[in-house]
Amino acid sequence: MRLMLICLSFLALSACEGRQSVLSPAGRDAQDVLSLIWVMFGGAVLLWLLLAAIFVYVTRVEPREMPRRWGEMLIVGGGVIFPVILLGALLTYSLPMMKPQREADPGLKVHITAEQWWWRVDYELPDGSRVTSANELRLPTGRRTGLVLNAHKVIHAFWVPALGGKVDMIPGRETYLSFFPEEPGVYRGQCAEFCGASHALMAFETVVMTPEDFAEWLTAEAEAATAPASGEAVRGAQVFTREGCGACHSVRGTPAVGQVGPDLTHVGSRKSIGAGILNGSEEDFAQFIAHTESLKPEVAMPSYNHIAPEDLRALVAYLKGLT
Amino acid sequence: MSDIRDEQDAHEFRAEALSLWRITFSPLIWAVYFTVSYGTAAVVCAKGGAGAVALLRLGIGIGTLIALALILWLAWGAWRQWDMPRDREWENDAGTSEDRHQFLGHAAFLLAVISFIGVVYVSLPVLLIGSCG
Amino acid sequence: MTKPASLPVAEGPYPPSEAALAEPVPQAEQQRGAEELRAAWKTPQGWRYVTAVNNSEVGKWYALTALAFMLIAGVLALLMRVQLAFPDMTFLDADRFNQFFTMHGSAMMFLFAVPMFEAISILLLPAFLGARDMPFPRLSAYGYWCFLIGGCFVLGSLLFDSGPKAGWFMYPPLATKEEGIGPDVWLLGLSFIEVASIAAAVELIVGALKCRPPGMRVNIMPLYAWYVLVVGGMILFAFPPLIAGDFLFELERSFDWPFFDPTRGGDPILWQHLFWIFGHPEVYIVFLPSIAIAAMIVPTVAQRPIVGYSWIVLSAVGTGFLSFGLWVHHMFTTGLPQISLGFFSAASEAVVIPTGIQIFAFVATLMVGRVKLTLPMLWIAGALAIFVAGGLTGVMLAIVPFNWQVHDTYFIVAHLHYTLFGGMVFPVISGVYYFYPFMAKKLLSERLGLWAFWLIFSGFNITFLPMHLTGLMGMPRRVFTYPESSGWGWLNLISTLGAFIIAASFAVFLYDLLRPKKAQGEIPRNPWGAGTLEFSHEVPEEAWGVRSVPHVTSRYPLWDQPQLVERMDAGRYYLPDAPDHQRETIVTSVIDAKPVHVQRVTGPAWITILAAIFTGGAFIFPTFHIYTPAIICGAFAIVCIMYWLWTTTARPPKEEMRDAGLGLRLPTYASGPDSVGWWAMWITMLGDATAFASVVFGFFFYWTARSDFPPEGALHPLGLWVGVAALAGVAAWALTLAAREANMRGKLGLARAALVLAPLAAAVAGVAAWTAVRDLDPTSHVYPAILWALMVWLVAHLSVGVLMQGYCLAASVFGKLTPRYDADLRNVTLYWHFMAVKVVVTAAILGLAPGWLS
Repeated sequence: MRLMLICLSFLALSACEGRQSVLSPAGRDAQDVLSLIWVMFGGAVLLWLLLAAIFVYVTRVEPREMPRRWGEMLIVGGGVIFPVILLGALLTYSLPMMKPQREADPGLKVHITAEQWWWRVDYELPDGSRVTSANELRLPTGRRTGLVLNAHKVIHAFWVPALGGKVDMIPGRETYLSFFPEEPGVYRGQCAEFCGASHALMAFETVVMTPEDFAEWLTAEAEAATAPASGEAVRGAQVFTREGCGACHSVRGTPAVGQVGPDLTHVGSRKSIGAGILNGSEEDFAQFIAHTESLKPEVAMPSYNHIAPEDLRALVAYLKGLT
Repeated sequence: MSDIRDEQDAHEFRAEALSLWRITFSPLIWAVYFTVSYGTAAVVCAKGGAGAVALLRLGIGIGTLIALALILWLAWGAWRQWDMPRDREWENDAGTSEDRHQFLGHAAFLLAVISFIGVVYVSLPVLLIGSCG
Repeated sequence: MTKPASLPVAEGPYPPSEAALAEPVPQAEQQRGAEELRAAWKTPQGWRYVTAVNNSEVGKWYALTALAFMLIAGVLALLMRVQLAFPDMTFLDADRFNQFFTMHGSAMMFLFAVPMFEAISILLLPAFLGARDMPFPRLSAYGYWCFLIGGCFVLGSLLFDSGPKAGWFMYPPLATKEEGIGPDVWLLGLSFIEVASIAAAVELIVGALKCRPPGMRVNIMPLYAWYVLVVGGMILFAFPPLIAGDFLFELERSFDWPFFDPTRGGDPILWQHLFWIFGHPEVYIVFLPSIAIAAMIVPTVAQRPIVGYSWIVLSAVGTGFLSFGLWVHHMFTTGLPQISLGFFSAASEAVVIPTGIQIFAFVATLMVGRVKLTLPMLWIAGALAIFVAGGLTGVMLAIVPFNWQVHDTYFIVAHLHYTLFGGMVFPVISGVYYFYPFMAKKLLSERLGLWAFWLIFSGFNITFLPMHLTGLMGMPRRVFTYPESSGWGWLNLISTLGAFIIAASFAVFLYDLLRPKKAQGEIPRNPWGAGTLEFSHEVPEEAWGVRSVPHVTSRYPLWDQPQLVERMDAGRYYLPDAPDHQRETIVTSVIDAKPVHVQRVTGPAWITILAAIFTGGAFIFPTFHIYTPAIICGAFAIVCIMYWLWTTTARPPKEEMRDAGLGLRLPTYASGPDSVGWWAMWITMLGDATAFASVVFGFFFYWTARSDFPPEGALHPLGLWVGVAALAGVAAWALTLAAREANMRGKLGLARAALVLAPLAAAVAGVAAWTAVRDLDPTSHVYPAILWALMVWLVAHLSVGVLMQGYCLAASVFGKLTPRYDADLRNVTLYWHFMAVKVVVTAAILGLAPGWLS
């Protein structure tokens, strides 16, 4: 009850809003759950107050003896008949609600594989071709998109609160989830199953776009990387090669074809880097490359703190240019 | 004064060696029903073909009816053992064989009620959900 | 069941007549009885105090140790709250934070909640039942020492920065792949404690069924005893799946058998099933006994018998059953079929009904009574307010689509703390206030109690109420940090402040609990005006429990049976003396509590401590992958336990009958279903069979979950040897049975011959089972691995069976086991009945399953 009050008063201040909040849905599934939440919260608060009132009444207001028969009626009525009806109704209302999030849509499928601690993202087009990306998910509004989930080494869970419920990502098993986004915007998703040292640092941005914008973006994303545009970026590309970044990362259209780490083909256009932990400014890129291990404990990528500052700047310019 | 070896009790309200178990019979039916439903659903969803789900729902539906019938039968027996309508006795709190006998009937009856509700609830998904998915 | 005709049965008048009870006991007789009892039940003094096994001592140690472990786990929580107070804090690093939250959960569950139930029950159950002690005091003591050693070991790992850090649920593959000894500490340390828990459960069930006072039929036993029965039963069916899971898990950790490794046919989900089949009932294992304390306090507060006794029994038994149908609601997000999720959603809602009935029964009792709000009642009221809130969020969580949103978020953290504080911490503290006069013969302070209550009640809500919102706003659990942009900072800061208020409350409570209370003087015997037997306790302390074991005819004997206490004190009732200066308690029949025999109860001993130390070694050394000392320790532990059994259990009695008081003469020896040992074996075997069933479940689970089970072209066990194992195993069982029958008929030679042949047959069975799977490589794929695991399980149990047969053979040769006194052999035969089933099932899987599956 107090929770409701707090929440309501802060809703006014839009403090319950957020890019990662169940309370600010941007898709059909999350919206349905939110309606369910209000119904259940309302009911729960009423029931709690009712029970508290009975309790206060019998212990404080009227502590005298009452007939035993009343007590028995209270047990039968309050303990059996009332909850059986109420819970039965709740089950009947809620059981069919599982269905939409499991519904497959043959149109677009996205394969997401969780790694420690980042996300492989693969768009499967209706013609069967694949577009590979990482650490960011883009979805069109107004239609259902299916997500095929998998994990490499340990269990993770995929969760974008603004769009709908979560599903675990389990090595050796394929799990499935679908979303129906409605409101264009950028929403944060995060791994919800404990997956090791940097579990707290495994997030991603979900960009919901209109179908037209999405189609345009997907075409661009399918392209190979743009060639370095400035002299500094060209030098950055050399640093990239010299430091052996291509052994783990791939940049399509270049000799870098590593598969261990995230695909960097269009990393410069992403809303965040390091799996949703930094914003993707030049400063953030430089920080992440030089201090990987302190920013993300136990991560596989070593800290490249030996790179000279000007080389680092060049490298960042190259990566930022990969739009 | 009676001797401890007297078998008087045994005559009217037998010592009911089984009856402590008997109160668990209806929840046991629920448990078996639940396990079988879950197990069959798991196997059918993992190994069965497309038409198998309809068959599964039918099978569990029949299982539900059987479980409910068995629980009702147990409840009827327990109700008679409780013998409430005759002596209007709810508490059965005296240290006598008769009260012990009726108490076990009462407890078994209530457990049958709760098991009945349990079976009905667990059958809801079969009615409301049509696919493994 | 055949019964040796020659053993005597109870004789004399029963139930006692009012005239016999009214007859005064001569003063000299009273004095003699009291002195004999005092000598028999004397608590060891000085440094020998640790050898005590009496329930009042062991229960006290148990409770204080669990409390200490709880405080340590609580401090870990405070440190975590500091780290989370602000976004991007660097107070704890990721590694330490992960160790702390893992240990917080594990310790609260395994080192506090369940042991606290055992502690309280060991301490109080005999008093509720007017019994002198638990039926197996040395088993309690052994369990306690195991718990202490295991708990210190597990918690100590934090000091070396090598604690487990994969969460209290230890999900593989994260936990199986984790480097270091953390997961091994968790697995072996806690398995050790789980074994102790099962031992306690066995003891408590036997206590509630067989050690009630004469006349206490099942319909009038204190509700606490009903709860103990239910919870004991739940432990028997809930812990074994976890032990089976631990067994598979440790085989993977130590020997690389790929049970949970998907690249070699394993499946991490199997662990989740086994863990939560344990983990959900566990919640109720913690909750029910605590609410049972409320069921003892509420009638006292209302000064009326409980309303709806049968309803509460229904509620306890019903919850016990339904709670086993909920485990998948911890796995709603694992992508199981919708229809399966639906079953568990429905069952999770169904369990609300018995729980609700329980609460309404309390309210109804308060309604019909004239309520006086005492301090214990205030804590119960707080418990109900909090628990109901947690229950209501539980109703929401059982709804799958909602669960998908909030699973693994702070909403869950809030929910589970509401249920556990409301369902366990508050009732237990209430129990401490209520039973303190019984335990310590002093009262706790009313003023400090009020302070502690209001501090914890407000602190708790300040900490956990905002967490519901934190979770809905998207904060996952088990994160060591969060970004400022998330907007969760202010909520977390409030929670951290609240956590320190809870800590302050515990400080007040502890001070009150431990401060010296010499100045208080002597307190009244029954300060709350309770109606149940525990408040007939003596002030000042006497170690004998009850001066004489009463004949009970009411649910609230202290209210309804006038003069009961005086007569108990005068030694008017049963067992008012101890002519042999030996500890005894009275064993009664299960349903109607008719006196059956007098049971000798064991006294102080070092052997239990030694046995616990060696058992500890057997579990702790493998953590460091040191196996030879572990095996040596295991062997010594077995020797210790055998020595203790040999010297103190089922010895032929000097006198076959004993005057038990009121003209009743009771036998002093029992065998078969009349004896408590037989019941203990039966109950233990149920638990063991559950663990075995869990391993078998694993086999079939792989078959449904994996298309490559068995893999193509896999080697199968050798049918011939499987057949030999089956035949030899069944022969070992038949020979044991034959030995029992021959012994009973006085054919000693034949019985001994059978007892020589039986272990040989068992050995053949073991070797044959091993030969059958010897050529399979358990590291290559889960199929050979699970077959090997079944074989190892079988061989381990056969070995125990062989030891038992050898024990009986020796007992027969040395005259401990005779045709008349054959309890040992009957218990061993019971073990072998279960063994025969295991042999047949294992052989069926090893020999037939490959045929069915492919």
